[in-house]
Amino acid sequence: MARTKIVRRRDGTVLVERFSPFRRVEHLMVIIVFVLLVLTGFPQKFYESTWATSTLNFFGGLDRARTVHRVAGMVFAFQAIFHIAVIMIGTLTKKMRLTLLPTPQDLRDVFATMSYYFGYRKEHPRYPKFDYRQKFEYLGMVLGGMVMVFTGLVLLYPGLTASIMPGQIIPAARIMHSSEALLALSVLIVWHVYGSHLSPEVFPMDTSIFTGYMTEEELAERHSLEYEHVFGKPPAHLAEHAEAPKTGVTLTPPEDTDSAPKA
Amino acid sequence: MDRRTRSQKFRVRQDWIVAMGMALAVVTCLPSQAWSGDRSNEGCLMCHSEKGEFLKFADGSKKSLFVDKAQWKKSVHGGKLSCTDCHREISDYPHQKKKFEDARDYTLARANTCQRCHYAHYTRVLDSTHYEILKSGMREAPTCVDCHGAHDIHDPRTPRLGINARCATCHSEISDTFKQSVHGKALLENNPDVPVCTDCHGAHSMPSPSDSKFRLTSFQMCAQCHGDEERMKKYDLNTAVLSTYLDDFHGSSNRLYAMGAGKPTKPIATCSDCHGVHNISSFKGSATKAEARARVIKTCRTCHAEVPDSFADAWLSHYEPTFETAPLVWGVKLGYRVLIPLIMIGLVLHILLHLWRLKTHR
Repeated sequence: MARTKIVRRRDGTVLVERFSPFRRVEHLMVIIVFVLLVLTGFPQKFYESTWATSTLNFFGGLDRARTVHRVAGMVFAFQAIFHIAVIMIGTLTKKMRLTLLPTPQDLRDVFATMSYYFGYRKEHPRYPKFDYRQKFEYLGMVLGGMVMVFTGLVLLYPGLTASIMPGQIIPAARIMHSSEALLALSVLIVWHVYGSHLSPEVFPMDTSIFTGYMTEEELAERHSLEYEHVFGKPPAHLAEHAEAPKTGVTLTPPEDTDSAPKA
Repeated sequence: MDRRTRSQKFRVRQDWIVAMGMALAVVTCLPSQAWSGDRSNEGCLMCHSEKGEFLKFADGSKKSLFVDKAQWKKSVHGGKLSCTDCHREISDYPHQKKKFEDARDYTLARANTCQRCHYAHYTRVLDSTHYEILKSGMREAPTCVDCHGAHDIHDPRTPRLGINARCATCHSEISDTFKQSVHGKALLENNPDVPVCTDCHGAHSMPSPSDSKFRLTSFQMCAQCHGDEERMKKYDLNTAVLSTYLDDFHGSSNRLYAMGAGKPTKPIATCSDCHGVHNISSFKGSATKAEARARVIKTCRTCHAEVPDSFADAWLSHYEPTFETAPLVWGVKLGYRVLIPLIMIGLVLHILLHLWRLKTHR
């Protein structure tokens, strides 16, 4: 397993790498493709609205918008295939830590978080590198993306589809494509915008997906298990407030061998 | 400031003068018109109620000058207009001689007669395909009198069947085809719910049916009746035809093109492509399910060449999917109808709980 990169800046702040350059580019690509797909797709779903025509005409009419939609969809599909291929190779060669894979612990975290929200629990549950809220969104993106790619291909090649599958797949795919898109956009607007922008924890924006790094303090606050994984010990504030600290508390910033600065 | 109000006042006074003048003109003209109308008609009819007088044209053809007084009296204009209201070029006797090549030449030269009173209708005709054809040099293209008649004008809408008969004067072949269709047969039985020619084609502004816009918007034409539940109930016809068409790829595409989102590079199926145009026959009753499917797949293949037979199952025949007819489509639709609100409510609640916790326990 590759070690997590840690950067110590001149002013004393310690940055921990969260996303490799590959993941940052992947995210940027998804933004571009997603926006294009939404802008060219939703006018087709909401064909009755007046903005539908003007949005399509921005792309040069319905036919051009469809071409853009299909090209963007193809890019998205290749990206999805590439993404999954990277995971498969990474898993097989054991070089990748599957930090976004949902685990039973995530389900326990959901209940723990809920009982914390309702006040039945004193401390906030500790989250790994990605908490269940982020995993939910990622999983939705991957599974929803697969649905979109599959139904999109059905709609692009209806004749071919009918020759290998029952014809009823075509209207079902049309409804699925359009409903899944609505679900994806709704989750993005509500969940992603809250989680990465409007939530008081990150307001106005969690920049780590663009810069690739998160400060040590942020990591300790929001993903303390990952902090422990990186620095080899629980964050200071947790050790401080822990009801019964098991080991001695060190308030000095950790200087692990594991976190030797490289950049 | 002062000057402006004065000029405004002056303008108001001017308007008053014009209005008063017009009122005076109307008041003085109305009785005189009626009076002169009757009197001048009698004068004209002294000669024109006699049979045997003819207009002679340059090519040697003739046109009768006889006017049936009784028929004229019964027409919509009878007793309201005087002869010279339309025949404005005639003011004295003996009439001034004019040279026309033939009777059609005479009709076309006087084609704008109706414009004076029926300005809006006349102007609409100028945008019609009939006028386009006339302009291109085809003298047979109709002007007002060809459809409405001259001295025997009646309400063109009664009887309804008469409208089709008038179109059939030129479009006899289409008229014969139409009589065989589900609409035509019902029209011959005086059914008031079926369309006559003008219901689909319009009367005066009549656009060209080969125009792409006519094609793109034609589904709205059909939907006017077929989306009308009151009317369709009588015949046990499905009114979901429009919504199911629009919700499908073809319908939403045509609808977007019709709204101005570019022009289609290839024609996309609309009502008439599957149901026919003048020869529309009912899908109901006559065919078994297999026959109907065969008809559908044949229609699909006009554009989607070489698709397999199962392609026809993609079309749900204008019906909303049900568990029995299309379980997969029904299931997907229901699934998302439940899933989307469920997920979204869950996420919003989670966010609100988070905010609430932050506010109360910070």
